[in-house]
Amino acid sequence: MLLTFSDQQIASLLPAYLHVDRSMIITAMGPAVRDHLPDIRIGMRCTDAFDFVHMDMDQFFDGTQDVKPVRLIARRGTMSLFGAAVFHEHGCLLAVRHALSEESMNSGSLHLSDFGHGDPVVLSTMLISLQRAMLEESQATAIELAAERERNAKVLERTSRVAGYLGHDFNNLLSIIRLNTDRLLRKFGDDEKISNLAHIIQETAARGSDITQSLMTLSQQQTDTLLPITIDDLIRGNDTFLNTVVGAGIEFDIDLQAGTAESVISYNGLLNCIINLLINAREAMPHGGRIALSTSITRGLVTSRSDGSDPEPGAYVAIRIADSGSGMSEALLSRAFEPLFSSKPNGTGLGLASVRDFAVEMGGDVWLESQAGEGTTVYLHLPLANPSAEAQKENEVGQSAQAPDDGARRILLVEDEPYALEALAEMLEAEGYSVTPCESGDQAMRALEQQSYHLLLTDIVMPGQDGTEIARQANLGQPSIKTILMSGYVPDSASLEPGWMFLRKPTDSNELLRLIASAF
Amino acid sequence: MYGMIHRAVRQMVFDELGEDAWLALEQKLDIGPSELLTGMVYDDALTIAIISEASARLNLSIDACLFEFGRYWIKYAERGPLAAIMNFTGQNLGSFIENLDRLHLAVSAAMPGVRLPSFTTISSAPGHLLVEYRSDRTGMEQFVTGLFDGLLTRFHATGDVTIAEHKASSIIFEIRYQDGI
Repeated sequence: MLLTFSDQQIASLLPAYLHVDRSMIITAMGPAVRDHLPDIRIGMRCTDAFDFVHMDMDQFFDGTQDVKPVRLIARRGTMSLFGAAVFHEHGCLLAVRHALSEESMNSGSLHLSDFGHGDPVVLSTMLISLQRAMLEESQATAIELAAERERNAKVLERTSRVAGYLGHDFNNLLSIIRLNTDRLLRKFGDDEKISNLAHIIQETAARGSDITQSLMTLSQQQTDTLLPITIDDLIRGNDTFLNTVVGAGIEFDIDLQAGTAESVISYNGLLNCIINLLINAREAMPHGGRIALSTSITRGLVTSRSDGSDPEPGAYVAIRIADSGSGMSEALLSRAFEPLFSSKPNGTGLGLASVRDFAVEMGGDVWLESQAGEGTTVYLHLPLANPSAEAQKENEVGQSAQAPDDGARRILLVEDEPYALEALAEMLEAEGYSVTPCESGDQAMRALEQQSYHLLLTDIVMPGQDGTEIARQANLGQPSIKTILMSGYVPDSASLEPGWMFLRKPTDSNELLRLIASAF
Repeated sequence: MYGMIHRAVRQMVFDELGEDAWLALEQKLDIGPSELLTGMVYDDALTIAIISEASARLNLSIDACLFEFGRYWIKYAERGPLAAIMNFTGQNLGSFIENLDRLHLAVSAAMPGVRLPSFTTISSAPGHLLVEYRSDRTGMEQFVTGLFDGLLTRFHATGDVTIAEHKASSIIFEIRYQDGI
């Protein structure tokens, strides 16, 4: 195939081209040579204008090759051209182009017109430059996104705090209404009219309580009521549902040996943990297998203490869930509790992490034992609310002397709302308890110095010392004292200790009385 | 259009009215940084909504806003990360416009899915250019007029940009200019 191009067409394809005759005299050149090297003229010897890199010029026209690679460097300036020498009967076309780099683009020394249409070097260099520009802007966008997320988080935090405080104030008012309505019923409940009116008020307060619950949800309050719960009863009461979770095709054995042992925990919290662990076990056995759920009482070190003191031995309810599934490698095992880590294709990585959070919050612990191909066993330990007689004996050496032994059931009651304090004190006294009512932390501290108590019942959010601080001091001074906290709002600063009971306001008198009775 | 355009509109509103004005616009349109990603191609309706909101806040008609935005786009490109590409594309008004299609070819390779216009110089004489503009978008004439006007400023020239002819599938722009010193 023979093609003929005009000078103009060659200049369009190769703006930096040169043509030389067999004496190396320049006979034609492209606009990109003329523009950048104005000293070069037609009729000049090409070797006077350029150095030919690594080329023996005596053998340039040796006739053995039609095309040779060439690189030319201008004798004046820094211009570099590269490409091919295409030989023909009368001379040679130097089909060369400028070397292009990002630096030469930035400096503005070369322009698009210096390159031929469709030159891939131009396209790729511009592509790199564009991508660099996009990368810079992406980094700026990432910073903006982070800043916006921070702004949103702050707004959300403010909103949630306001919602929490609003909920707290409403709950306090509802609590006063509820307690005093109960009081009214106790005193004048025989009068039908009064009884009807009191029930209307109670019902309305309950509806108000639902509204405050929404505010609490907005404030991301997740502290459930913490009560002494018989773990075996919890499992027994839900065994039908747990069987459904495990599903058909898997043998599911339950062996409950913890008896009436209780832990102060959130009912729903523990149920969620067990469900999460059963789901994990089930998914480790896609082709069926066996899951064994068992409970027992065991002893070990208390793992979570807010005062930073050394761990002490304690009694636990031990929940053990063992599967005969695929098991885990050592590497997988070491990351199993990592939030957002999952070995399952569609796993969220939240299940085991939330189980661990729950266990630690409740003063317990959770761990796994597993080997690839040999199944996995999960151990969930939760502190015993009322250690067994033997454990109690061992655990309470040196403490029993501090417990009141005069037969009176003494309660230290702390509540900054006078109407709620009055109603609670009256209700508890009517039940036969000996109550010391205090309106503040200072009053409570003085009372603790003067007398021993079986139980501390305190509000959390109060001016001055909050309820958790009072409880911490009380437990320090009187280690045998039982603690019940009540609040409609638990601020982040107020962390609950394992073993403390917690009741959400508005206070339900019957629930409170049941809880108090269980503490004695 | 692609996110680079949205970023430029944002910068124009920032420069003219301050950050709060842009944040109010973002809130009204329910957009945020994720609608400003350079390499992303967004629905034209979103771009038009942004420009429409910007024009209301700048107290300009949409046409006037498009013209101003065209001018602003040149300034925005030459002072940001695209400066090197702008310098490389041409050293005077004629060569810059001549090379626009080659610039767009590289942009298309970097951002698949982008729909870029085409510019063909159909007549070039000292102080006078006729440029044929083709695009599968409509209603962008004032933006293109603003772009050419911005290029006059870039190359220190003065002059006028007018629409010489509306053809069936293209628009002919006439640029009369005097090179500056």
